[in-house]
Amino acid sequence: MARVLIADDASFMRQMIREIIEPEGHEVVGEATNGIEAVDLFKEFAPDLVTMDIVMPKRSGIDAVKRILAEHPTACVVMCSALGQESLVMEALQAGARDFIVKPFKPDSVIATLKKVLEKAE
Amino acid sequence: MALDMAKYRRIFLEEATDHLGEISHALLSLEKELEGVEAIDTVFRMAHSIKSMAASLGFDAIADLSHRMEDRMEGVRRAGRVRDHEELAVLFRALEALEAMVAAVAGDRDPAPADAALLEALATSPAASSAPVVDGVAEIAPPVVQPKKARS
Repeated sequence: MARVLIADDASFMRQMIREIIEPEGHEVVGEATNGIEAVDLFKEFAPDLVTMDIVMPKRSGIDAVKRILAEHPTACVVMCSALGQESLVMEALQAGARDFIVKPFKPDSVIATLKKVLEKAE
Repeated sequence: MALDMAKYRRIFLEEATDHLGEISHALLSLEKELEGVEAIDTVFRMAHSIKSMAASLGFDAIADLSHRMEDRMEGVRRAGRVRDHEELAVLFRALEALEAMVAAVAGDRDPAPADAALLEALATSPAASSAPVVDGVAEIAPPVVQPKKARS
C-alpha cells in the first residue's frame, strides 16, 4: 500500500480521492491546495504517489509535475484531468507523469489506475 | 464502492457558493480593468472547479454552463484581456445563471438548463460578434450593458 499526496485546490475533490483510496489501504500523507504546496509537500513527505490536479492557483499542476520530476525523476505522479484537458494531459505525460484519472471520478477506475501505476513502479 | 453523495452535495454548496463569490469579485474587478490577468485566471479556475464538482454529482445543467464559461475564459486568457464590456456582460449573465442554479440545488430543486441564448452567447467568438478593434478600442462601441452587481 502506498503513501499518497493529494494535490487539488478543491476540498471536494481532495476528500473524494481520500474516501476512494483509504479503504484500499493507502495512506494520505498530505494535501496540497496549489502547485507550490504540491512541490513543497513532495519534498517534505517523499510520497510513493501524487494525485495532481491540472488547474490550480499559484502554480499549475503541469508546472508542479515538471518541478517535482526535475529533482525526483522516479516520482510517481498521476494527473487528475477533466473534460477538455486532453492537450494538457498529453503535456503532463510527456513531462513524465505516469497516468491520469478523469473527473468526475469513478472509484473503481481511480483504484485500478493507482494500482497499475504503483505495480509498474515497483 | 459507494460514496456518501449527501456529504459531497453539502461540500458542493459551500464551495460553489464561495467560488461564485470569487467570480463576482473578479468580474467586478475586470469591469475596471479588462486586462486583469489575476481576475481572468480566477474566473477560469472557479468555473473549472464548479464544473468538476457539478459533474461529479450529476448536476448536468451546472456542469454544462460552467464548462461553457470555462471555455470562454480560456479564450480570454489566450487573448490576455476581456475584449469589451459586451463580453463582460455575457460573463455576468453566466454568473447570475450559475447562482440561480446553485440556489436551486440548495432548495432541493433540480437546476433548470441554462437559457439557450446565454449558452450561444458564451460560445460565440467575440471577434465574430463585435465591431473591429483598432488600438484596443472598438470602432463602433457596442452598447454597454450594466451588469448586476451580485456582490460588492
